[in-house]
Amino acid sequence: YRDLHTFELQAPTRLIEWARGNRVCVAGYGQSDGNEILQLIPPPTLLTKESQGLCPERDFKVECGGFSERPVYSLKYVPDTSLLVTSGPPDSSLQVWQVSAEDSDVIKSVSTIATENGTGQSWAKIATTSARAPWVLHGSRLDRVQITEVESRKNVYTAASRGSEELSGLAFLDCNTLLLCCATGRLCLADTRQPQSLLEDMAVPSAPCSEQWCLGTRHGAQGLEPSSQPVARLSSRGLLTLTDLRKTSEFLALAKARVPSPGSGAEFLCISWAPALEGYLAISGFDGTVHVYDTQSWDSSGREAEPIFVHKGHAFGGAGGSGDPALVTVHTWHLQKPRTLLSAASDGSLHVWNWVQPCGKC
Amino acid sequence: IFRVFCWCPGAGQDVGRSCILVSIAGKNVMLDCGMHMGYNDDRRFPDFSYITQNGRLTDFLDCVIISHFHLDHCGALPYFSEMVGYDGPIYMTHPTKAICPILLEDYRKITVDKKGETNFFTSQMIKDCMKKVVAVHLHQTVQVDEELEIKAYYAGHVLGAAMFQIKVGCESVVYTGDYNMTPDRHLGAAWIDKCRPDLLISESTYATTIRDSKRCRERDFLKKVHETVERGGKVLIPVFALGRAQELCILLETFWERMNLKAPIYFSTGLTEKANHYYKLFITWTNQKIRKTFVQRNMFEFKHIKAFDRAFADNPGPMVVFATPGMLHAGQSLQIFRKWAGNEKNMVIMPGYCVQGTVGHKILSGQRKLEMEGRQILEVKMQVEYMSFSAHADAKGIMQLIRQAEPRNVLLVHGEAKKMEFLKQKIEQEFHVSCFMPANGETTTILTNPCIPVDISLGLLKRETAIGPLPDAKKPKLMHGTLLMKDNSFRLVSPEQALKELGLAEHQLRFTCRVHIQDPRKEHETGLRVYNHLKGILKDYSVQHLPDGSITVESILIQATAHSEDQGTKVLLVSWTYQDEELGSYLTSLLKKGLPQSTP
Repeated sequence: YRDLHTFELQAPTRLIEWARGNRVCVAGYGQSDGNEILQLIPPPTLLTKESQGLCPERDFKVECGGFSERPVYSLKYVPDTSLLVTSGPPDSSLQVWQVSAEDSDVIKSVSTIATENGTGQSWAKIATTSARAPWVLHGSRLDRVQITEVESRKNVYTAASRGSEELSGLAFLDCNTLLLCCATGRLCLADTRQPQSLLEDMAVPSAPCSEQWCLGTRHGAQGLEPSSQPVARLSSRGLLTLTDLRKTSEFLALAKARVPSPGSGAEFLCISWAPALEGYLAISGFDGTVHVYDTQSWDSSGREAEPIFVHKGHAFGGAGGSGDPALVTVHTWHLQKPRTLLSAASDGSLHVWNWVQPCGKC
Repeated sequence: IFRVFCWCPGAGQDVGRSCILVSIAGKNVMLDCGMHMGYNDDRRFPDFSYITQNGRLTDFLDCVIISHFHLDHCGALPYFSEMVGYDGPIYMTHPTKAICPILLEDYRKITVDKKGETNFFTSQMIKDCMKKVVAVHLHQTVQVDEELEIKAYYAGHVLGAAMFQIKVGCESVVYTGDYNMTPDRHLGAAWIDKCRPDLLISESTYATTIRDSKRCRERDFLKKVHETVERGGKVLIPVFALGRAQELCILLETFWERMNLKAPIYFSTGLTEKANHYYKLFITWTNQKIRKTFVQRNMFEFKHIKAFDRAFADNPGPMVVFATPGMLHAGQSLQIFRKWAGNEKNMVIMPGYCVQGTVGHKILSGQRKLEMEGRQILEVKMQVEYMSFSAHADAKGIMQLIRQAEPRNVLLVHGEAKKMEFLKQKIEQEFHVSCFMPANGETTTILTNPCIPVDISLGLLKRETAIGPLPDAKKPKLMHGTLLMKDNSFRLVSPEQALKELGLAEHQLRFTCRVHIQDPRKEHETGLRVYNHLKGILKDYSVQHLPDGSITVESILIQATAHSEDQGTKVLLVSWTYQDEELGSYLTSLLKKGLPQSTP
């Protein structure tokens, strides 16, 4: 490691979201009442480009917080507004909150975006954009995907459904294009300018069912055609696929990660691209580790890939190994610092780490 | 009712300054007497005129309590007791009493000798002040006077730091001072029992932080030291006589042992003796592990750490030196600093806050050319690092403490009210208590519902429980009695017993009402009319006609008399005792309606 900071949150989180001004947001997902949404200011060491080992200010500061009655499984900030949207069980409705850090340090609940709840609905996956207006794309199933305007709570778009598979992720590729990923691995594209348009499907590697998939898209890099960025998918068996959205019939690359089997389920599967490093991505959710890979050396053979680095901190932390070992619930990359990641685990730990690049590389 | 006045000007500084006045049930207590480290003039001391406007401080205050020896909690004490004037008792723990004067003297030296201040307390004042100090043990209940008692609890943080419970009758306040809920290498964690105080006053400066783990800080510290030593440099760590120094020594010793390092580590001689002396003296104040190992070997006698001799500073090669004083303002640490400053391979690690004007403060602010005595310019090429290992409670720690003590109200000091709304809500939601966050210089009034114990006489109890429904655990039972307050005791007794004890006779209240009726006949005849009328109506009551002409209904007496001026009007005097109020009023209203026309 070059740097390692470990923190302990009062309650574990399964989301880490970046907000304006380099703020980080985490939230509790416990079953009981009183889950907290915390917007944190990272320590100056994380804000500056160069690390300063023994900086006096090494702590996260809670800038503001809110209380949620339901567990918070997903949270997204609505860009260019002071609002954020959360979702979680027991149904697929969304909660809208207001953050006004200057006036008070309480994140206030503002409204709820209700959705029709069919049977067996789980929580909604969400994505936000403010390109045309503050919109939130949400849905728990393929046939329940819609875009709602956040402030007015009016429905703006509903996707034509093809099936009722459960969604594992969705994203805005640009202000008009949506990418949906089902738990079965099926990827669909939709265009908001063509409401009720049919969704296009894309190739999925043949795999036994009961395997679950999740999605990783590159954060909208400025000036680049979003569809030129490869989309990564991770399965609960450790399979990794890279797909170019322009050529969906074949994989750009296919690899296998070394993960313990049987896996611990797909609850916390997480895959993400590094915003500041070309071709790097990270995966987590199998155990107490986070793997970092350089996909530039991958091909379509599907053989096992060697991680560049494995963060094992969460497996060792915790109060003397009591109970189950910690499971990494989520990870995310630092938006500017190249090799810095934040990861959280089921024991409430939050790590910020940065690995040393062996000589000869970037 | 409590009145809490917090004096803490200039929030937002790294080092808080504490001085809190609490009025509880008529007693006035001052909690801590800190100095503001950032100011060089009168603003550094609290403005006590607020209290003294009504007379002498000694008369007003019942006692002063100091939580620990950090200057932002005791720095203004000599000024307060000797220059402003206070002769009452000052309470602190034994270690605090032993260490306080050393730090105060040290501070006085820098301020007066080095900076040439004049309006400051003298060495003699420090001595005189300490004479007024009464030292207390942990968990020892100390009677300040007949009504006021205090008790100290372990607070962690530094050696001798304590949280204090102040109790008057059944109202109590707990003041935490600075505390830490996680144990470290040489101190335990704060602990308090379920004392359920009416108010808990806690520091909240670190409430919004989520702290980086100690392991990471230590890892980075060791890494820096190791790197410097590996490249042949020297590491200077200026420390205060006591406190973090011991913690860091244990840390380095363990690291050296594990990594099998050979570079020497030195510790100023004066320091070791004093430190060992105090830690031996106050061994019960350190943590479990130290106490256990102390029996086998002195935890503060290290294998790799040796006593320093000033000649060693000139030795070639790598080394690590702990030297006093901590802010590089004088003495050995400054001497060593001057020798090593010119070499960029060397490093100085400042372990804590440095007061303005000291070399420590200057180099931490980035100054690299310092003017020394004799107009010599010193160029600082060595690396300057700062690290803070101070142990304070964060939000999680505050919640833990509240959970332990179960107060009815919580008051947080050192926060900016609007920025602490979230924590306030969190505390209120989780514990269902009121949370106050006064601004600096503000007075908060907290209402309490004190329980007043009252003894009830057995006779009364037996009598009252015999009447009415049977006692039910779920329903409150209403009882009647007389409350006697005598000599600070409260007793509930029957009225008869109260009268007897107090030597009083029972008063009888009698009401008489006049009812005018039109009747030209003689009084005697009117009386008969009334009697017949009432007898006819009040069938359930005993109505009697007495020989003297008056009528009785139960115990109520009615007499007919002639009106003094008007022959045609008769006046009925209706008279009853207080107990017969209801019947009396009823009769009166009945008679006011008049008598029926036809009467025999």
